Amino acid sequence: MVGVAPAPAPARRRGPRPPAPPGPEREAARAAARRGALIGLPPLVTMVLLFAVPLGIVAVYSVATRGRTGRTELADWNLDAYARLLEPLVLEIAGRSLGYAALTTLLCLAIGYPFAYWLTTRRPGVRAVLLVLVMLPFWSNFLVRTYAWRVLLGSDGPIVTALAAVGLGEVRLLFTPFAVVLGLVYGYLPFMVLPLYSSLERLDLRLVEAARDLGATGWEAFRRVTWPLSRPGVVAGSVLVFIPSFGAYVTPELLGGSRTTLVGSFVVRQFLSARDWPFGSALSMAILVVMLAATVAYFRAQERRS
Amino acid sequence: MHRGAPRLSATAGTVPAVSLRRVTKRFPETRLDDEVVAVDELDLDVTDGEFFALLGPSGCGKTTTLRMVAGFEFPTEGSVHIHGTEMGRRPPDRRPVNTVFQSYALFPHMTVAENVAFGLRMRDVARDEARRRVAEAIELVQLRGRDGAMPGDLSGGQQQRVALARALVNRPKVLLLDEPLGALDLRLREAMQVELKQLQALLGITFVHVTHDQEEALAMSDRLAVMDAGRLVQVGTPAEVYERPRTRFVAEFLGDANLLTAEAVDAERVRLPDGTVVRIASGRSAGAAVHLSLRPEQLDLVAAGTPVEPHLDAVEGTVARIGYFGSAIEYDVALDTGGPEVLVTARLGNARGVVARTVGERVRMRWTPDSVTVLED
Repeated sequence: MVGVAPAPAPARRRGPRPPAPPGPEREAARAAARRGALIGLPPLVTMVLLFAVPLGIVAVYSVATRGRTGRTELADWNLDAYARLLEPLVLEIAGRSLGYAALTTLLCLAIGYPFAYWLTTRRPGVRAVLLVLVMLPFWSNFLVRTYAWRVLLGSDGPIVTALAAVGLGEVRLLFTPFAVVLGLVYGYLPFMVLPLYSSLERLDLRLVEAARDLGATGWEAFRRVTWPLSRPGVVAGSVLVFIPSFGAYVTPELLGGSRTTLVGSFVVRQFLSARDWPFGSALSMAILVVMLAATVAYFRAQERRS
Repeated sequence: MHRGAPRLSATAGTVPAVSLRRVTKRFPETRLDDEVVAVDELDLDVTDGEFFALLGPSGCGKTTTLRMVAGFEFPTEGSVHIHGTEMGRRPPDRRPVNTVFQSYALFPHMTVAENVAFGLRMRDVARDEARRRVAEAIELVQLRGRDGAMPGDLSGGQQQRVALARALVNRPKVLLLDEPLGALDLRLREAMQVELKQLQALLGITFVHVTHDQEEALAMSDRLAVMDAGRLVQVGTPAEVYERPRTRFVAEFLGDANLLTAEAVDAERVRLPDGTVVRIASGRSAGAAVHLSLRPEQLDLVAAGTPVEPHLDAVEGTVARIGYFGSAIEYDVALDTGGPEVLVTARLGNARGVVARTVGERVRMRWTPDSVTVLED
């Protein structure tokens, strides 16, 4: 038997509550909601098909079993692959990836911030041209551009030749950590510049003048006004650079050596060479969770500060 | 300083608070190989402790002038002195002035109290003293209790007060105000005019107030300067400038004026377009064309044919248009020129006993000769 509640509801309703919108307005709101759902449907379907479903497949594979031939058997569900995530090799590669991503983010910020600031001080026409130039590399294939770096950095490439000519001796650039970081910074710098530019462009320069007027030196005005107000751009840019740098595959694969294996290459190796799909899937899931947690934590921290 | 000691400020008072000497500011015009002259050989002295207004239409150079005093721009030629010290290329943070910006420029990421405390923090004022002065300043602009609010949560009028407190807390020698009331609605603007004026009198700080609103400048300032096209046209008390405009521009920019072209008869008399000969205060050589300004509110309207008393001058004409403004009524009267139409406007206070006129009615306009100002151009 279902007990009948003593119905305290009416008493509660006496508290303040927003007045119900009049009939026609409620109708209009419903119609707007219907229209919204209709517009939202195609992207929703796309996201489910191309993102959620593949992710689900990866999640399922991560708890499956690797057969003796390398075939993945969707049976004997277990968490063995996850247990292997704590092996020293995995931790070493993950640590290296984090280090490279952090360094790339810092370098992009150090280069991108002054550049974005300088951009905002240009005349509008010049600004538009420079912004197009920032985005220009996207018009050609990333793979091709990375191969171009191989030529540039190679042992008989122009840079090494020039260094030798000025008496710096035989310098090895390609397949070094330097080449990897250079490639990552090169590839992801626009992702830092664009959000920084958009937040700096919105900054009211009179605020900087006000700070100077109140006795702040140029540096103090930057530290207390410009920097805190451009923080949303810094956060967005950092996240946009850090995440792809962490999971980068093409750049370390083409410009790095065996000692610069990053998680991207490591995951690929599990799928293609080791044929250990459950482990590769578990790695992917772990990366996803770590990145998601880091991003959320980062946004939270920034929100609290501002 | 004890009583009876010679007052240093007596001698200090003779040094202008702000002094501009032949200040010119040219901005490079990058498109053409040309330069834009924003301020042209400006000479100006602002007396210590006065409320000074810089008045002019947009683009006249008044804001550029203010920015050169604040240190946001440097003069191309000439010099800016504040209390006798040449500012040269000294940056804003090393000048004894503070600015209230047009759109307040409050730091959106700081609370009201943090905004007000900013200047004191930059100047390393001790924490206890800073806290006390911030509280005082917030009290002064009547924002007590809003210390913790963010600027975005305040109304326009409140933001204006924060901007004022943020500047005044530093006890500047000169407070620069760049159209501070421009963003407020009419009623609030009028209330703030009174308040700013009271505040200035209370603190005794020199205020330099930039505005394009002539009523604001007239109502608030002790003295005002009218600027046009980068040049100073006239400086004086509101009464001097309003009642004795030097040029056509000043006459038209400050209030309404009837501008008439007349012909000098002799040193004291001119002939109006309808042939009437009237008296003027200052003379011109006979035969020369003379430009006159007559304020509408200084004209009186009586029935045609009313005898003219000897201390008055008068013309006759026909009422062409009537404008009803509630507190005042304006009559546009066409003079009997026999040629092109010349309209003279009279504004009569809508007081009891004022006889209403109708369009087409013959009237006589009369005035005292000292109401007529001879313009330079």
